[in-house]
Amino acid sequence: MTVAQSSVVLPPFQRRYAQLWTVLVSGGGVVLAFLVGGLLVVIAGGDPLAAFRSMFSGTLGSTFSIGELLVTATPLLIIGLGLALAFRGRVYNIGAEGQLFVGALAGGSLILELHASGTVLIAFAVVAGIVAGALWASVVGYLRARWSVNEVISSLLMNYIGIFGFDYVIRKPLGDPAAGNALASRQLPTSAMLPSVSGLYAHVGIFIALGLVPFVWYAMRATPFGYRIRMMGLNREAAQVAGVNTARLTVVLMALSGGLAGLAGVIQVIGVEGRMDSGISANYGFTAIVVALLGRLSAPGVLAAALLIAFLNVGGQAMSVDNGLPYSIVLAIEGVFVLFVLIADRFGRTR
Amino acid sequence: MTKQPTVFMRGIRKHFGDFAALKGVDFELRPGEIHGLLGENGAGKTTLMNVLYGLHEPDAGTIELHGEPVRLRTPQDAIAHGIGMVHQHFMLVPTLTVAENMVLGEKGGAFVGKERLQQAASRLRERGERYGLAVDPNARVWQLSVGQQQRVEILRALYRDARVLILDEPTASLTAPETEQLLPRLRALADEGASIVFITHHLEEVLAWTDRITVLRHGELVETLRPAETSAVALARSMVGRPVTLKELGVDVSVAPSTEHRGTGNAPMLEVNGLGCRSDRGTAALDDIGVSVRGGEIVAVAGVEGNGQAELEEVLCGLRQPAAGTVRLGGDDVTHVTTLERLRLGMGVIPSDRYRRGLIRALPIGENLVLDQIGERPYGTPLRVSRRAIAARARELIERFTIRATGPGQLAGELSGGNAQRVVLARTLSRDIRVLVAAQPTRGLDVGAMEFVWARLDEARRAGVAILLLSTDLDEVMALADRCCVLYRGRLVAEWPRHELDRETIGLAMGGVVGTPSPATVPEQVVTRA
Repeated sequence: MTVAQSSVVLPPFQRRYAQLWTVLVSGGGVVLAFLVGGLLVVIAGGDPLAAFRSMFSGTLGSTFSIGELLVTATPLLIIGLGLALAFRGRVYNIGAEGQLFVGALAGGSLILELHASGTVLIAFAVVAGIVAGALWASVVGYLRARWSVNEVISSLLMNYIGIFGFDYVIRKPLGDPAAGNALASRQLPTSAMLPSVSGLYAHVGIFIALGLVPFVWYAMRATPFGYRIRMMGLNREAAQVAGVNTARLTVVLMALSGGLAGLAGVIQVIGVEGRMDSGISANYGFTAIVVALLGRLSAPGVLAAALLIAFLNVGGQAMSVDNGLPYSIVLAIEGVFVLFVLIADRFGRTR
Repeated sequence: MTKQPTVFMRGIRKHFGDFAALKGVDFELRPGEIHGLLGENGAGKTTLMNVLYGLHEPDAGTIELHGEPVRLRTPQDAIAHGIGMVHQHFMLVPTLTVAENMVLGEKGGAFVGKERLQQAASRLRERGERYGLAVDPNARVWQLSVGQQQRVEILRALYRDARVLILDEPTASLTAPETEQLLPRLRALADEGASIVFITHHLEEVLAWTDRITVLRHGELVETLRPAETSAVALARSMVGRPVTLKELGVDVSVAPSTEHRGTGNAPMLEVNGLGCRSDRGTAALDDIGVSVRGGEIVAVAGVEGNGQAELEEVLCGLRQPAAGTVRLGGDDVTHVTTLERLRLGMGVIPSDRYRRGLIRALPIGENLVLDQIGERPYGTPLRVSRRAIAARARELIERFTIRATGPGQLAGELSGGNAQRVVLARTLSRDIRVLVAAQPTRGLDVGAMEFVWARLDEARRAGVAILLLSTDLDEVMALADRCCVLYRGRLVAEWPRHELDRETIGLAMGGVVGTPSPATVPEQVVTRA
């Protein structure tokens, strides 16, 4: 914002009270989101106050609901961190959903076929999930690096191969005869499940996810690797002239983000479902794209965004169930919130 | 002042972050005049004109058009007020035809019908003929030469009935004959009543073709005067703020007659043999290129844009795969190795496009100064980048290379052209290099910055670096080269040692005219002729 026409430059309000402005704008954004969301509830024939009350009680009201919130946030956070890394380098991995299923399949089948149990098996399964997701994604990276195949398209389309490949394997070779026609694998032995957090209805996967945050934050901010990613993202050609092996880094970023998506997949299998079925992901691989972008591709930002989206997801379900509201209104309210957060973020910046 | 000025800008101020690009500049443009705008890079010429064209809103100051105060917030506002601007870098869509480019900004944009396009074409023909700027409206822009593309840009402004025409360094990318064609056309336009702002570095052009000259320095107005009241030396002095010699201006850099061939005794450090490659369009861009550079000599590869210099630069940097031939760096075959490996073997690069390849604009100067050494000691370990070491190094280099910046934390994108190039030079030359590929190292730079770059290149040569200079600028070739070859349509067509360098002969060869060379002009290096 600049003032033409006048010869005296008055520092505008935003610049003089930068921090206050940011707080005001984000606060205003949240208030507006609630107002518009409430309006939607009214249109759907509900009571907005009751709706928002159940949104909060359904996410923060009990240890159960807090657990629910954390369980939902876990895959979003893990995948979102990987995508933030890749997007920083302008490597647009849209295939996290497929990578999640491929990772889940690798980890889950290993457990089913190995007939062992215990911590070692869990560790193997986790590694297998990461490796499978990474390899699956690096195909896309290689195509991009070698023949400039647009990674947005190839990773997007590979989702379908991954998801339906997963469906095939769990129905046929690994299918549960007792489940009839349902799309589910045999049940995993309970010894291969992730332990729960005591006192919370959540598995320890949330600690893995939270543990990754400082790691990714440090890698992005302070390591030469993080600098190279930024260089490539900001100016690919200049990075190359300065000696960055952009082809290799592209593959590495695809593999990293794919590996994390694979990890999220395994965790869903051994932490939540206890078997392989299509319920392991509620579009987490796609939602994590929103998480990464909403978090402005920074690790702390992704953490906040993952919690916000999980809050909207879980709280929205509670709102819908408690108040007899259609689920579509929940999705609409989620959209309104994300939109207002983005707008507030844009206007909250003072530069 | 009898007539009311067409444009009157008063007290224009513009800041970019902490950097004051314009500190209260007055500028007046009269009807029917060609007004030269002079200044070093970073003096604020382009910023001032961007303000007039609505690209930047000024922090303070007023703009009047024909005596009426106006507010120009977007280029659309400016165009509506009859202001047109031709940027240094053309803003045309290469895959569209000339006529399609004309209607692009209009309502309906790309969806206009055939009829509308035909109207545009006939209007274009009419304007083109009236001003002697005829261009085929149905030609696709990428097929046109740089000079023709510029005509298209000027025509676009006229097509929109611009009465104020801003030309940002219009002659910078033109060949001498193209320049000689352009300037009289501008005069004819002005005689018809148009007002033209002419930004340039060429003092001779300004003196010969403008009615008045305004000189800016560090964002301030130095003076506005008539060509008759001044001289090249006086103008240069007021631009730079200190006395300069004619030689420094690049106005006439005569070659010191020297029979001594520098670097003769040294071993070749860069050897290119039988090199061929394809262009982006799949046509042959380079064919059987052979050149070798010894330590301590500068070999210039002169040529007009579009004849393969860009591709040669890319192949040498490792950005483009050659289709044939070899590149050797001090004995190592690097034809197919990565850029990183080349850097490790002692190659340095000054890329032709400093913003696209030389710098990362969104990163601070400090990081840009060690861009190729991030993660290497002392700037960090594989696990940690040392910001402190980078900042310390940056401060040292900023001083050594007199980079005008607020500090290591300033973003590289905020630097003016000359200072941006100093950052690239500082990074490249402060490393321990054996071979330097310098592509258009002074393109778009002002006299002061040009002189600085040449001095640093000369210094590197004295230190024993083998320098391959890719240049379209004859002055530069004449000033620096120990040997010079000419690249024409992807082939090396001629080569001369320093004592036989002759502007006219080189200029002719760049245009494809190669005389019968006397046996003495064929040096030890084998050159394949077309």
